[in-house]
Amino acid sequence: MSIYLDYQAAKPVDVRVVSEMTIYFNNKFANPSSLHCDGDEATDALIESRQKIADFINAPNTSDIIFTSSATESNNLALIGSAMRNKKKGNHIIISEIEHISILNIAKYLEREGFKVSRVPVDQFGIIKLEKLEKLINDQTILISISTASNEVGSLQPIKEISEIAAKKNVLFHTDAVASEGVIPIDVQKVPIDMMTLSSNDIYGPRGVGALYLKKGVRINPIIIGGGQERGLRSGSENVPGIVGFAKAAEIMREEIKTEVIRLKSMRDKLIQEVLSRVPNSYLNGHPEKRLPNNAHFRFDYIEGESLILSLKDQKVAAATGSACSSKTLEPSHTLISMGLLHEEAHGSLLFTLGRFTKEADLDKAIEVLPGIVKRLRLLSPLTPPELIKKYNEVND
Amino acid sequence: MKSTQYTEKVLDHFRNPRNVGVIEKPDGYGKVGNPVCGDLMEIFIKVGKNDSGEEVIDDVKFRTFGCGSAVATSSMVTTMAKGMKVDDAYKITRNDVADELEGLPPIKMHCSNLAADALKAAIDNYRTKSDPYVEIEARACSVPDIKIILGEDEFLGKGVYKKVDDLSEFNGKRVLVVDTGDKSLELAMKLTKHTGRVVVLTSAKTTPGSEELKKKLKLSDVKILHESELLEIQGTDDVEKVIIQDFDEDEKYELFVDTVIILEV
Repeated sequence: MSIYLDYQAAKPVDVRVVSEMTIYFNNKFANPSSLHCDGDEATDALIESRQKIADFINAPNTSDIIFTSSATESNNLALIGSAMRNKKKGNHIIISEIEHISILNIAKYLEREGFKVSRVPVDQFGIIKLEKLEKLINDQTILISISTASNEVGSLQPIKEISEIAAKKNVLFHTDAVASEGVIPIDVQKVPIDMMTLSSNDIYGPRGVGALYLKKGVRINPIIIGGGQERGLRSGSENVPGIVGFAKAAEIMREEIKTEVIRLKSMRDKLIQEVLSRVPNSYLNGHPEKRLPNNAHFRFDYIEGESLILSLKDQKVAAATGSACSSKTLEPSHTLISMGLLHEEAHGSLLFTLGRFTKEADLDKAIEVLPGIVKRLRLLSPLTPPELIKKYNEVND
Repeated sequence: MKSTQYTEKVLDHFRNPRNVGVIEKPDGYGKVGNPVCGDLMEIFIKVGKNDSGEEVIDDVKFRTFGCGSAVATSSMVTTMAKGMKVDDAYKITRNDVADELEGLPPIKMHCSNLAADALKAAIDNYRTKSDPYVEIEARACSVPDIKIILGEDEFLGKGVYKKVDDLSEFNGKRVLVVDTGDKSLELAMKLTKHTGRVVVLTSAKTTPGSEELKKKLKLSDVKILHESELLEIQGTDDVEKVIIQDFDEDEKYELFVDTVIILEV
């Protein structure tokens, strides 16, 4: 097992969550729709779980929570479901340039179905431009979908302001909260959000479960039709063990988030400070303060990210990059490009994301090996200026 | 196969690349790829004669910016070519290099296996005896034509500036400064105190400006785009992005900026 600093990609399931789930695989396995006692047990588990998720985001009603199979499904339900429901009102949807790939691709699908999609640009820190958003809203606009934070560079979006603009203009507002749900508490009674996507794994619950918070009174169409579970908005027998695990994860997170965030933030700050001071020509991507407490996104001039990841892998450190060479499409990260980075800069990016089980010693290891790795790759690179090569060689002597 | 699932041989050449470096006064020099695409490699060769009087590659060195397979293929092609007859080395193909490495992930066959091409370019350069450095300098120094930048007038006052009074206007902005002489370069350096994002676009091949300015520019946080030209400024209400032409690669690409400064000379 390597030193795992890629919590944005996947998180381990907390053992407390696993033990809560087990009984629902074989002992309390029944279908909540069944009328017998066993079915009632499953129903009770569902009711209790829905309550825990509602508490997690301070939703006023448990019926506001729709369980789904994943955050991606929740995003599909929110965007496609509300677009289809409201297509007589208008055909215009607003997202941002730096949404998660699931939102970007759903938006492309809706464009093919005849909807018009506008993408709000971001500033150099990856934060959306509010004044642009306001100008983009027109009388055809039916939905704004902007994530709470960038899943890549970690920039926090002005969600409260966006939701207020949407409310004022009478447009639905959806937010994908996956990147922030485990590090920034969200209270849907304080921020007027209409729909919010949640993922179980991102708070150390099992994968294969997600939820959509749907404010009372907001009407959307289902995208999965069948037996009418989840108020008819998401048919299919409920994944009871998964939902129980998700709820337990939310319960733990609600109790521990405050202390956990203090710990993560202090480790992250140390990581950022050490890397920037030890590696010449290194930069922090995203906003210095308005960023996820567990996100440190760097870029290093003259080298390429996949080489960095491979070299870190040799040192048993797991991290991520926005470089094209590590992606399926061979395009660099759209987020970094939208922030105004040059392609070659986006290629040299490196993302560390910390989590519940990250220790100080893990970071020390990463800090220790990174400068040498960057140096080796720079000495290989034709882009490294002679001055820097000289500087590197002098330190050697 | 995942893009990073490499054979042991690829990993070996990535971890311990052979023949890294530069040959001063090479007989042939080849450069292929583009940092914009994520891969750039250069190969230097020295040519000698064997006992039968045939031309052979006496020495070969490389430098590469790129992913694991870009480094490994460069290293491999140099080990293959070293000591080889020039005619035979010219016949090395991308597939030969991949085979020697016991395979590459399919997606990497196209993008990163440029090493054979770089070697070919170096041999071509040797055969034609052309000096690549001289050629590029000559082109960059030619008198530029009068260019029309699409959107320049449309966005004047909406992100496009022809003169600048108050630098604090640019706090936190992503600024592109077009190189119109030393004044524009000085301005670019001053702007780095107001924003972390200053890019200078110049048609020059190397760092532009007077000798003294060059030194300062190199030490500053200004990013320089060489051998480039501004084609178009785009946006809905005000400037959102620009289209840039890279002469060296003959390619167009987008850069997201809020401000374009084209100081009047």
